[in-house]
Amino acid sequence: MSLADLQPLMLGLILACAALLVLLVDLVIKPSGKPILGWLTAAILAGTLVASWLLPLEGEVQAGVWQGNLWSTFLARVMISAGLLAVLGGLDYVARVWPYRQGEFYTLLLFSLTGMVLLPGCRELAAFVVCFELMGIPIYVLAAYSKNDNGKKPPEAALKLLLIGAASTALTFFGAALLVGMAGSSRFAELVPYEPGPLHAVAALLLLAGMAFKIGVAPFHMWVPDTYEGSPTPVVAFLSVAPKVAGFAALSSIFLIAMPTLAHAWRPMLWLLVVVTMVVGNLVAIPQTNLKRLMAFSGVAQVGYILLGFLGGAEFGAAMMLFYLATYVFANIGMFLIVHAVAEAGEGEDIVSLNGLARRSPWLALALLMFLLSLAGIPFVAGFWAKFYVFTAAWRAGHGEMVLLGALFATVALFYYLGVARAAFVNKSAIEGPVPVKRPLALAIVVCLLGTVGLGAWPNPLVEAALAAVQGLY
Amino acid sequence: MTAIPLAHLLILAAALFTLGMIGVMTRRNVLVMLMSVEIMLNAVNLTLVAFSRYHGWTEGHVLAFFIIAVAAAEAAVGLAMVLAVFRLKQTVYVDELKLLKR
Repeated sequence: MSLADLQPLMLGLILACAALLVLLVDLVIKPSGKPILGWLTAAILAGTLVASWLLPLEGEVQAGVWQGNLWSTFLARVMISAGLLAVLGGLDYVARVWPYRQGEFYTLLLFSLTGMVLLPGCRELAAFVVCFELMGIPIYVLAAYSKNDNGKKPPEAALKLLLIGAASTALTFFGAALLVGMAGSSRFAELVPYEPGPLHAVAALLLLAGMAFKIGVAPFHMWVPDTYEGSPTPVVAFLSVAPKVAGFAALSSIFLIAMPTLAHAWRPMLWLLVVVTMVVGNLVAIPQTNLKRLMAFSGVAQVGYILLGFLGGAEFGAAMMLFYLATYVFANIGMFLIVHAVAEAGEGEDIVSLNGLARRSPWLALALLMFLLSLAGIPFVAGFWAKFYVFTAAWRAGHGEMVLLGALFATVALFYYLGVARAAFVNKSAIEGPVPVKRPLALAIVVCLLGTVGLGAWPNPLVEAALAAVQGLY
Repeated sequence: MTAIPLAHLLILAAALFTLGMIGVMTRRNVLVMLMSVEIMLNAVNLTLVAFSRYHGWTEGHVLAFFIIAVAAAEAAVGLAMVLAVFRLKQTVYVDELKLLKR
């Protein structure tokens, strides 16, 4: 094997080298110069994103253990964008709150991204195990960074994330080990025979339960609100989307490639999870007063819609899942960054802290409105097309009742999303003067806004890219 | 020496896995919860190794090594967090930690 054979893995290799580079620069740089590490990370991520169009990333590694194609590249772009936006949004915060630990922060983020970027291309279980955990373990550490109060707050939320994450990983691995053992091969394509037995179905359900924890499907979502509330907001912006995108990539590659013959076992279970997720996510979001908890339950509800795409028909459904994920990245990170900006101004993280935002910072309020409309699926921002296409996919697959349920709960969701908008636009606030927003954070919010509005106006290029990307999965 | 049948090993692995899962869900000491997760992961390894020996095939052994490495990393991070929590709260019991209780 020569180095040239590793060409399809290039994006992952760049990110892994970047992580080591940041760690090395951190060693030699003076404490006062450490904010440069954040800019370095942002520059590398932007460069990697550009490189994903320039480098040839197609091809197989190690006779099909890893497959580089439009599918893996599309997902890598979405995840790298999420990383870039989160890094930009958190730049000043990281430099201010953890001045001596910036190097580790960005190194961990880059390592986690390495795992995520390599995950969609895995077609073999050993590679999958390594990528899955390379993604997961740094996230536990990132979530453990304490919020503003200088390490005086114990990382309880992160410990909860770790315990639940580790147990769910064990579930996934146990299911996988049973399948590997029975098949005598760790390749996805050879994992499940044409006529699977009952033990295969049990293994599939174990795998499904483990994955459900990772993507935060109800009733496996109990870590989501606590972790979102307890962890620093820029970290939450990252971990609310990027691992979810990777989780859906893993779900697709395992269940669609390895287990089509077991569909009778996992499909009904997944449909049940979609119903529970939509009901729990949307109804529990209504009484929330903390913005991050509200966003956590809204995120749970959104996963229900994304799963609708996953389940709704083969290629079209999977493509619309990709489109949904891409629009979700912009709207959700944008939302968290605005929460972050307002909290940084000393207003706290409750819905009431948005009071009077329209009067104080009209542009920020406008961006907030766009993100909320996109999450709610109102025409004509990005989220509308995402919901519309996902519903179309489910409808075409003959699941009219699920479309009805989805539409019903989209109206429920409108209620709490507009509740947040009302705080910003109708409620009065005693505080005057604009919310101060640092430049990199403003840049990240603007990019999210442009993405949300732009994809609402011209969804077609991304839809076509997603349709092309799905060809790589099969 | 007669070989232990595959079914026995698998039943043992399943029993260990179940014990680990019960441990994670019912124990109140975070350290014991982490140990239970390790038991779950070791049940996975036992499954892999048992199947590998039965098939006379090495891939399962290799996969078990990967999982051992991953489990070690997870335990390291987990213990570090328990330590961080203990320094500030002087406890490792989830009943005394408000977030973990729910």
